[in-house]
Amino acid sequence: MPRQANAVDFWRGFALVSIFVNHIPGIYYERLTHRNFSISDSAELFVFLAGWSLGYLVGSRDEPIGTGRLVARLGSRSLQIYAAQILISSIALALLAASAYLLENPLILEWHNASAVFQDPALAHIGLVLLTHQLGYFDILPLYVVLMLAAPGIAVIDRFAKPLLVPLSLSLYFASLTVPFTAPTWPVPGQWFFNPFTWQAIFVLGFSLSRNEGLGAFVRCHIRTIRIISLPVVLFAAAIVVFSWMPDPTKLPEPKLLFLNGKSFLTPMRLIQFLALAAVFSATYPLIARALPWLCPFLSILGRNSLYVFCVGSLLSLTGQLIRYLYSGSFAVDTIIFVVGIGLLWLTAWTSEWRERQKRADI
Amino acid sequence: MERAAKKGGHLKGMLGAFLVLGILATACPGSQAQGATERGANAAELPAVAKECGEAKLADTPLPNSAQALQQRKKLKILAIGASSASVVGPLREGSSPLLEQILEHTIKGLDVEIIDRGFSGELAAAAATRLKIEVALNHPDIVLWQVGTNDALAQVPVEQFQEAVGDMVRWLKEHNIDVILVGLHYMKRLVRDPHYQAIRTSLRSIAAKENVPRITRYEAMEIISRAMREPGRPVPSEFGLTEAGYNCMAQYVARAIAVGLYAKPPKTAPPPVR
Repeated sequence: MPRQANAVDFWRGFALVSIFVNHIPGIYYERLTHRNFSISDSAELFVFLAGWSLGYLVGSRDEPIGTGRLVARLGSRSLQIYAAQILISSIALALLAASAYLLENPLILEWHNASAVFQDPALAHIGLVLLTHQLGYFDILPLYVVLMLAAPGIAVIDRFAKPLLVPLSLSLYFASLTVPFTAPTWPVPGQWFFNPFTWQAIFVLGFSLSRNEGLGAFVRCHIRTIRIISLPVVLFAAAIVVFSWMPDPTKLPEPKLLFLNGKSFLTPMRLIQFLALAAVFSATYPLIARALPWLCPFLSILGRNSLYVFCVGSLLSLTGQLIRYLYSGSFAVDTIIFVVGIGLLWLTAWTSEWRERQKRADI
Repeated sequence: MERAAKKGGHLKGMLGAFLVLGILATACPGSQAQGATERGANAAELPAVAKECGEAKLADTPLPNSAQALQQRKKLKILAIGASSASVVGPLREGSSPLLEQILEHTIKGLDVEIIDRGFSGELAAAAATRLKIEVALNHPDIVLWQVGTNDALAQVPVEQFQEAVGDMVRWLKEHNIDVILVGLHYMKRLVRDPHYQAIRTSLRSIAAKENVPRITRYEAMEIISRAMREPGRPVPSEFGLTEAGYNCMAQYVARAIAVGLYAKPPKTAPPPVR
C-alpha cells in the first residue's frame, strides 16, 4: 500500500507542478506560481525535499541498516536518477529535432542549449553522458545525481560524526561563494546552472532537518519561535520581489555572491528566505488538508512518485513550449496545456502505483 | 540515412568554406571583402566582412567605454550573453580562441581580447537580463554582446514585455558605463510573414535606435545570404545550412561593429527620435 498523504509528499507534489508550469516561459499560469512572491522558487523546494527524502532511504537511528547496504542502496538510487536524466535528455533532443524538421524551423534546434548536440554531436554526446552538457530546464537532475553520489558520504558522516555534517556542508558552501568556484560545462564552455558545491547545502539541510536528533530535533523543539522570526523575513522578501527592491549587484560589497540574489549559486539571500518560507508554510498543511481535502491526496500522489512525475513533467513542459509556438500563446491554449499537463502528471503517478500493486498481486 | 549524410556533408563543406573565407577576408582586406573605411588619423584597418556574408549596413555607433578601456589597458573584456554564444563569437573549438577574438586581436595590434562566455541558447530576454546584472557585477565587462529577440519571438512573449525587459537592461548597462551591442533576430523565409516575429524585430530595432546602441543586423545579412544562394545555377540551400553558415559571418559582423565603435566619433547631437 502506498503511504498516506503527508506534508512532505504534498509539498513535493506542489514543487513538481510549479516546476512544470515555470518551465513553460510565457504561459499564463506562470504568474500564479510562488516565485512571483518569493526570492526562492520551486527548485529550492525540490532539492530541500530531496534531501529530506534521503532521510527515508538512510533509515532511522532506531532501525539502522548496515553501512555497506546503505551505500549500495544510495548508489543504486543515483544510478536510477542518472538513467532518467539520459533518457529524458534523449527524448527532449528528439522532440526538438522532430519539431524543427516538421515545422521547417531550424531555430528550434537552438532551444535550450541543444545547438551543440546538432552542430558538434561527437563531443556534445560525450558531454551529455558525463553530465557536463545539460539542456536548459533539464539541468536539475544532474545536480540530483551528484548529490545522490555524495549521499553515502553524507549518511556516513551523519552516522559517525553527526555534529560535523552541517558545518562541513556550510564550509563548502561559503568557500564556493567566496572564492568563487563551480562545476564547468563541456564541450560548450560555461558553468552548471545549479552549482553543486552551493546547492549541496540545501540538500544537507533538508536531510539534517528530517532527522529526529541534532538539528532536526532542535528545530522541532523551537518551531513556534522560528516561525515567529521567519514570518517578517517571508513578508519582507515578498515585498522585495513585488516592488523590485532588489539591490544593484554592482553596488554590493565583495565578495558579491554573499549578498546578491543568484539562483545558480543559491546565494545566502535565497537560502535564508527559503528556510523562513519552509518554516512558515510547514504550519499550513493541516489547514490546507481541512480546507481542500481533495488537494492533499492529489499532490501527494505526485510527490510519492516524484522521479517519474518530474521526468514526464520536463518533457511535457517542452511539449507545451512547442505547442505555444505552433498555436501562438493565448489564454485558451495555455489553459489546455495546463489542464492536460497536470492530468498527465497525475496519470503518470497513478500508473506507477498501479504497476506496483500489480507486481505485488502477481507475487 | 543517405540523405542525412549528404546533408551533413553539405553543411560541413559550407561551414568550412565560410570559415576559410572569413579568415581570408580578414587577413587580406580588399580582396574578396568590402573595403575598410578610413576614419581619421586614429583609425585602424577595420576588419572586413566576407562578401559571402552579405552587405548588411552597420552604423558607426561609438563604444565610448570600450574605447577608453582600449586606450588605458589595451584590453577588452567582452561578455557574451543571450542565446548560444557560438553563433556570434564563432564556433567554439577545443584549443583555439573564438573567431571574434582572433579577428579583433589580428586587427588591433597589441589588443588583448577576453571573451566571457555566458551564452545559453533558448534563453528569453527577461531571464537573460536578470542574469546579466549578476554577470556584470562579477566580471566587470567593457562590452556586453547580447543576442536577443529570436527566442522571445518564438515563445510568443508579448512585444511590450520584451521591449520593457530589453530597454530597461540597455539603459541599466549605459548607466553603469558598459557598452552594449545587440545582436538581432535570425532570418528564416517562413518567418517573413509571421507578424509576432516581425513585431519583435521592429521593437529591437527601435530600442537600438532610441538608446543609440549598435545592433548587428543579422536578419538582413542572413536574408542577403539566402537570396544569393537561391540564384540560378546554385544549389537550393537547406534552411538548416543557412543558420549554420551565419555563425562565422556574425563573428565578422560583430568584430567590425566593435572596431568601428572603438574609433567612431561620439555624436555631437542627440539621435533623431524613432517613429
